[in-house]
Amino acid sequence: MSNAPILNKAGLIMTAGPGMRDLAHRLVTYEAGAGNPPEPMESPALRVYEKLRQSLVEFVGVAGFQSLASRALTLATPEAPSLREARVNADGSLQGLGEIETQIDTDKDRAGEGGIILIARLLGLLRVFLGEALTLSLLRNAWPGEAFDDRNAGNGRKA
Amino acid sequence: MSQQDKVKINRLPTGVPGLDEIVGGGLPEFSFNIIAGAPGSGKTTLAHQFVFANAMPERPALYFTVLGESAIKMLRYQQQYTFFDPAMLPGSIRFINLSQVVLKKDLGAVLEEITREVEKFNPAVVVVDSFRTMVRKPESDMDLQSFIQRLALFLASWQATTFLIGEYAEEELRDNPIFTVADGLLWLRQTAERNSIVRKLQIVKLRGQDSVPGLHTFRITDAGVQAFSRTFGLTQKARNPSSHRRLTFGIPDLDKMLGGGVREGDSVLIAGPSGTGKSVLATQFIAEGIRQGEPGIVAVFEERPQAYAERAASLGLDLETPQKDGKLTILYLRPLDLSVDETMHSILDAVQKIGAKRLVIDSLAGFEMALSPGFRADFRESLYRMIFALTGIGVTILSTVEVDESFTEFPFSTYSISFLTDDIIRLRYVSIDGQLRKILVIIKMRGGNHAKDIREYEITSEGVVILGKRLINYQGLISGLPVHSDRSEPKEEPIQPGIGNNE
Repeated sequence: MSNAPILNKAGLIMTAGPGMRDLAHRLVTYEAGAGNPPEPMESPALRVYEKLRQSLVEFVGVAGFQSLASRALTLATPEAPSLREARVNADGSLQGLGEIETQIDTDKDRAGEGGIILIARLLGLLRVFLGEALTLSLLRNAWPGEAFDDRNAGNGRKA
Repeated sequence: MSQQDKVKINRLPTGVPGLDEIVGGGLPEFSFNIIAGAPGSGKTTLAHQFVFANAMPERPALYFTVLGESAIKMLRYQQQYTFFDPAMLPGSIRFINLSQVVLKKDLGAVLEEITREVEKFNPAVVVVDSFRTMVRKPESDMDLQSFIQRLALFLASWQATTFLIGEYAEEELRDNPIFTVADGLLWLRQTAERNSIVRKLQIVKLRGQDSVPGLHTFRITDAGVQAFSRTFGLTQKARNPSSHRRLTFGIPDLDKMLGGGVREGDSVLIAGPSGTGKSVLATQFIAEGIRQGEPGIVAVFEERPQAYAERAASLGLDLETPQKDGKLTILYLRPLDLSVDETMHSILDAVQKIGAKRLVIDSLAGFEMALSPGFRADFRESLYRMIFALTGIGVTILSTVEVDESFTEFPFSTYSISFLTDDIIRLRYVSIDGQLRKILVIIKMRGGNHAKDIREYEITSEGVVILGKRLINYQGLISGLPVHSDRSEPKEEPIQPGIGNNE
């Protein structure tokens, strides 16, 4: 994948940037190996999403998070068509992601890809609205055991 | 009760440059404050500055957002200010959104939610932005006044300094029971004055300490809110004792007329029509100060510093070197929407930076034009405050003012400010022997005796040069149209500096 983002006519970034995707992948990997074993139907990507939801709802409100998540899902779906089945509920929770990932579990490489793209999109929106430093501060709060720096966010600058 | 028996109220820094001085040294710890004003007046920014100045990981700040501006957008914009440190979020500063509780429940539930979060995080600072938007349901089981009272009681008990932010119009200030609960009430105003926007803040109320009364100008810049006290931050500085030292112009005959020079800490006015050499005299005054080791400030409004220095060079006065050496600052203050307080702030900064002893304001007309139209109406009162503040710390101020030449009157200033000045030197044109010549006279010197002579002078390549002795063969010189009268030369009277007062 090229490092250059693909822009649409309006200049909006149409794919999750590699930095955000790496960061999302890292969070999902972290959740896959962290703490309690997940519920049978719960994917690591969904756990990342839930942690983000809990963290963000506190300060942007349920409606605020629901809007961001819906936007992220809309942006992610063209890159991961399997996300077409996913829905963001009124309380901001995500419906359908676990089932999608279970269905494609036979292909380990593709497993969780849709979830990672969705998370990457959500992180990308946070970076657009809040900037890199503040986004990383929020992530550090949600994952206190994980070390984040700006290389994860893809611009090579130290946090 | 003796002073040591009284409870000590700690004062917290506001994080707003200039505001600590206005509120009397900082905001009282554990106080319950309301920041009120119209939308766009800077309430949220001010609250953020306080939060960033006081929040710590062990005693964080809780910032409750309600309805209105979304937290994500608020943070997006607020982080543009230089005081915003993203590393403080969310460890030291936590943003908590209450919109869901407000929309679905009542004020009682809001209070419960705030209580829960406060007990959980033990904050030093709590902000509710905007508390006014919480009153949505008329059937609510708790009215806003009860809510505020219970909130104030709870947060004081939990040792939190609190800010409620609310949109209020001016007329709502009166008889509003909510304001009686607050320990502090900061009112922010924003008004349009012709084409300029003027922002002012007022400490309507602040329990437990003296704040500076009145309306104070403030500005919102990249650094956030910056306030300019009406007392220019000099209320806590001791006034310098009267000095008997005389500051000279470096023009021997003029210094002699002044009884040895102007008294240190005086306000001197040089008044005269265009072209009579007011700026030349002012430049000589500042250059002489530098020669004597007294740093100076020149505030110019009508020409750029480079042009000012070049004109001085044409008189043989080097203003470039002292600027490089940090002995002289030429301030160019031209923006058209300045307040006197902001101008003063610039001047004071420069005075304190180089330890200036002499200040030239060239000219008062240019100064007035640089101000926002709304401030021009108060120009005279503002000048009074400025002169009082600066001379109080021992700075000698020389201002120039252009007066219309008249052959029937002898005005000192168009601003009726002669009472503000200690010393007045009047320059004017006079028609003598078919020539338009220049004369000067010392009108008054508050601190001592001075010559009563009317002296002719010229502006040469060396600046102002006093010619000969006093003009005795003419009557009606100050009318500008004297009549020749043949008189013998008088005996020169010596000036006794510092003796008596001819006022």
